[in-house]
Amino acid sequence: MSAVVVAEELTKRYGPRLAVDHVSFAVGAGEIMGLLGPNGSGKTTILRIFTGYLRPSSGTARIADHDVVDDPLAARRRVGYVPEDAPLYPGMGVREFLIFMGRVKGLTSTSLTAAVDAATERLRLGPLRTAQIGRLSRGYRQRVAIAQALLGDPALLILDEPTNGLDPRQIIEMRELIRALGGERTIIVTSHILGEIERVADRVAILLAGQLLGIHAVRASREGGRIRLCVRGDEERVRMCLSRVPGVTAVAVDDQRQTPAPTYLVDTQHASLAESVAQAVIVGGFGLLSMESAPVDLEALFLQLTGGRTESGK
Amino acid sequence: MRNFITLLVKEEKAIFSSPIAFAIVAVYLLLIGYTFTLMLFLNRTAELVRVFFQAAVLFLLIIPVITMRLLAEERRSGTLEILLTSPVREIEIILAKFAASLTLVGLMLALTASDAIVLGVYADPDWGPIYSGFLGLFLLAAALAAIGLAVSGLTSNQIVAAVVAMGVGILLWMIDSIGYLLPDPFDTVVTNLSLVAHFTPFATGAVFLSDLGFFLTVILVCLLLSMRTLARR
Repeated sequence: MSAVVVAEELTKRYGPRLAVDHVSFAVGAGEIMGLLGPNGSGKTTILRIFTGYLRPSSGTARIADHDVVDDPLAARRRVGYVPEDAPLYPGMGVREFLIFMGRVKGLTSTSLTAAVDAATERLRLGPLRTAQIGRLSRGYRQRVAIAQALLGDPALLILDEPTNGLDPRQIIEMRELIRALGGERTIIVTSHILGEIERVADRVAILLAGQLLGIHAVRASREGGRIRLCVRGDEERVRMCLSRVPGVTAVAVDDQRQTPAPTYLVDTQHASLAESVAQAVIVGGFGLLSMESAPVDLEALFLQLTGGRTESGK
Repeated sequence: MRNFITLLVKEEKAIFSSPIAFAIVAVYLLLIGYTFTLMLFLNRTAELVRVFFQAAVLFLLIIPVITMRLLAEERRSGTLEILLTSPVREIEIILAKFAASLTLVGLMLALTASDAIVLGVYADPDWGPIYSGFLGLFLLAAALAAIGLAVSGLTSNQIVAAVVAMGVGILLWMIDSIGYLLPDPFDTVVTNLSLVAHFTPFATGAVFLSDLGFFLTVILVCLLLSMRTLARR
């Protein structure tokens, strides 16, 4: 998968304070990357660097091979951005605003009308096309903001806290929309709510105090499975045996548990591979003492990575 | 150029859909009409010098109210982030906002021209000082609009933007007074910063390139400062 978004040693400094501290990651085409972290962890700053709103103090940020500092207009043409709280012009009508944003993004005549109509339909804004933005509910304003971001068919969609201020029904709709948009284009979405990001993202980057603590594949664990096994036998040979099972993506030893024999955590592509794993252990001549499903708990991972640190008392 | 026109149309709609614009034009016309009538009946001379000075003083107070929202409102509402993350250049945003504010000023000057038409119909005025007066007023208004735009970029509070721009304009208007108290060469420098010193020749029928250059320099410097306020992020 080719990377649409690349951050290399990205750093943003506000005076003595490091808002983003040497962050590096890449996001592939069609992938949904979630940035998770408490308020002030640097999520929005990273997004603003990619949109060209902020300049990085050092490091590079590239969108579809265009550097956001050296080639800002080309980079911005490839981004659709929905800032936090979806700021819009309250005095404009919905269609008037979308036409204005389409023109600003370089669309003309027929392509402009087609793009505005498509975005209006996609976000189900048809009945509201003449409505004044200032009179719309929070949920509809968010939809208008996403509609403008889709104009020009950008390779990358950046959504900053898209479910903020929405009611439960609107949150579910927004989640479905983000999932539907993923696959068609690359999406970076931020949230400080763990459950939200877990439901929509393929991978989650966990940030704290401007530092990237780790990146976790959520989709893999959502679609696949994790099995915890207690197996008697030579540790190296057991690991080798487990990793040879088709569909096993990772094998790790779980040191946290006090068991009579080593405990292994096996990540699989599909949850149905448990039987094959058990068979491999038995056929390999090892003693299978216990076996259970162990779904990845993002909350536990977040706590483990942050090590109980907080923004103020790290 | 296309982006500039798109942004200009958006700014024009924002200005002319607001009741502020109509209130400003109405109050301006009322006060200018009052001055014109008074001068006409008191002096009984076919000239507009007093009207030009009255308009200049009104511009010192009115133009900051026109320019206060240009960047401050976008900054406060967050729409500046939408604009600055779109594929448009900062200079296009600044020039569109500047040109839009000049449109309203142009409208006010065009309506002031009715005074000149009245003089032309009922008397035989010397047209030279009238033409130069309007040119001077336009340059002064453009300089004040550029100052207002730069100040508007520094804050997200429209009232602060208006008050500070008004303060800067009035200070530059009367700064020549302090020049008399300063030693050479500071007196010359300070006197040459005065808006009234460069406006007076235009209002009285004398067009000097130095005065033209002064106003153009103020406009250019303030537009560059406005761009800097967008770039500081």
